Amino acid sequence: MMRLKSLLTLAVAGVALSACGIKRVSRVDPESVTDLSGRWNDTDSRLVANELIGQSLGATWAREWSAANGGTAPTLIVGEFRNRTLEHIAVGTFVRDLERAFITSGSVRVVASSDERTEVRAERVDQQTNATAETRARVAREQGARFLLQGDVQAIEDSEGREKIVFYQIDATLIDLESNAKIWVGQHKIKKYIQRRRLTP
Amino acid sequence: MLRPTIFLARARAAAIVAMGLSACAPYPQRINEAPIMMNGDRVVAADAGQVAPTVAADQLAMQATMDSVRAAATAGCAPETCDLIARGEVGLGMSEVQVYAATHSLPSAWVVRRSGGGAVMVPATRSAPTDRLGEMVMVQLDGPRTAVISRRGPQGILVASRPQDAGAAAMAKQAAAQLVREGDDLVMANDPDGALNRYDRASVLDPEASDVQFKAARLLDLQMRPQEALMRYQRFLLSMDIERIKAHGEANAKMAEAIALAQQRIVILEKQVK
Repeated sequence: MMRLKSLLTLAVAGVALSACGIKRVSRVDPESVTDLSGRWNDTDSRLVANELIGQSLGATWAREWSAANGGTAPTLIVGEFRNRTLEHIAVGTFVRDLERAFITSGSVRVVASSDERTEVRAERVDQQTNATAETRARVAREQGARFLLQGDVQAIEDSEGREKIVFYQIDATLIDLESNAKIWVGQHKIKKYIQRRRLTP
Repeated sequence: MLRPTIFLARARAAAIVAMGLSACAPYPQRINEAPIMMNGDRVVAADAGQVAPTVAADQLAMQATMDSVRAAATAGCAPETCDLIARGEVGLGMSEVQVYAATHSLPSAWVVRRSGGGAVMVPATRSAPTDRLGEMVMVQLDGPRTAVISRRGPQGILVASRPQDAGAAAMAKQAAAQLVREGDDLVMANDPDGALNRYDRASVLDPEASDVQFKAARLLDLQMRPQEALMRYQRFLLSMDIERIKAHGEANAKMAEAIALAQQRIVILEKQVK
C-alpha cells in the first residue's frame, strides 16, 4: 500500500514537471513590439523601413528628375545594404519594405538588382530557344537604372556589468549612376538600453 | 620582536569603512532616460499606397504640360527645327518652348532670366535637362531665338554659337580639341603616356585634325619609339593637303615647318628602323 502511494506521488510529480516544459506557440500581431533578447529584431526593421520610406517619399529629388524628363518617373536599382555590425541583421527585410514603397507609391520605377537579373536573363535566353516567337521576351530591351540605392547598418555597443547600450545607425544613399552625385541620404538611429536583472520574477 | 601597533581614531576608522563599503556597493545605474517604446506597443508599417494617388496626379499633370509644350513647339516649326525636336537635340534658332520640347523637360526644370531683348535659361535643379548631345548647362536667347548653347561634356563645357558648331560632329570636334589641350598639359606635367592616350582619343573623335598626329609623332620620337613615330609622321603627312598649305603661304608657315620636320624625321627614322 505504501509502495503504491509513493508510486502515485511520483507519477503526479512527473506529470506536473512535464507540464511546465510544454511548448506554447501563439500568433501575435506583426505590428506588436516584442523585445526578448535586446538584439536586432522585427520592430527595429519596421522602424527603419517606416523612417526611410517617409524620408524618401518626402524628398524632392524624384519630382525634380521627373520635371527635367517630361514627367517620367526616375528608374532606380537597389544595390547592396551592408551589415557592418557583429550581429546577424537581416537587412533584406527593411530593404524590401523600401522597394515595395517605391513601387506602390509610383514615384520611382525599380528595376531588378544584379542578383535578380542573373535568373531573369537565364530565363530570357532559354525562351529564345524554347518559346514561340509571339510569346518570347526579346533580348536587349532592359531598362537601365539612373540611380543606385546603397546603404549600411553600423552598431556601437557599450556595456558595464548587467547594463548594455546598443546603438544602431542605418544609412541609405541614393547615387546618380552617371555623375556619382549623392542625390538623397536617408538615416535612422535606434538606441536600446538592455538591463539584465539578477532575479527574475 | 613586537609588530608595530597602528592606532586609529574612531572617526578615521569610520571613514575608511565607509569608503570600503562604497567601493563594494553595486555599480550605480546611470541611465535615467524614460523609454520611448515598450513591449506591447504597436509599430504600424508605413503604407506608401496613401501617397500613390498624389504621385499619379502629379505625373499626369506633368505629362499634360509636356504634351502642351510639344504641341506649341512643333506648331509651324521649320522642317530642320522639327527634325531637331524629334531627335531630341537643341539647335540654334530655336524658341524657348522648342528648347523645352527638344530637351523633353518641363518649364519648371528651368530658370529663365530675362534682360533686355534676350534671356538666359539655366537648369533649376541638380537634375539638369539633357538633350541627345549632353547635359544642358545654359541656353542664351537673343530675342526669341537661341543664340548660344552650352552643354557639359566629359572634358568640360562645350559651347555652340555658330550653326557649324551646333551639331553632333561639331561637338565631337570640340571634344577632340579639349582632349588635345589636356594632352598638352600632360606633356608639360611629364606624363607622355597620358598625353598619347589623349591624342589617340582626339584623333578618333576628329580624324581630320592633322596636328594631333604630328604631336603624337613628336612625342613617340622623343620617347625613342622610332617605328611608331615613323607611322605617325607618315599619317600626319598623308592627312595634310600639302598643296593647300603651300597656297596659304605665310598664314600656314608654322604648319609648313611641321611638314618639313616630319619629312626629315621620316628619312632618319626609316634608316633607323631598317
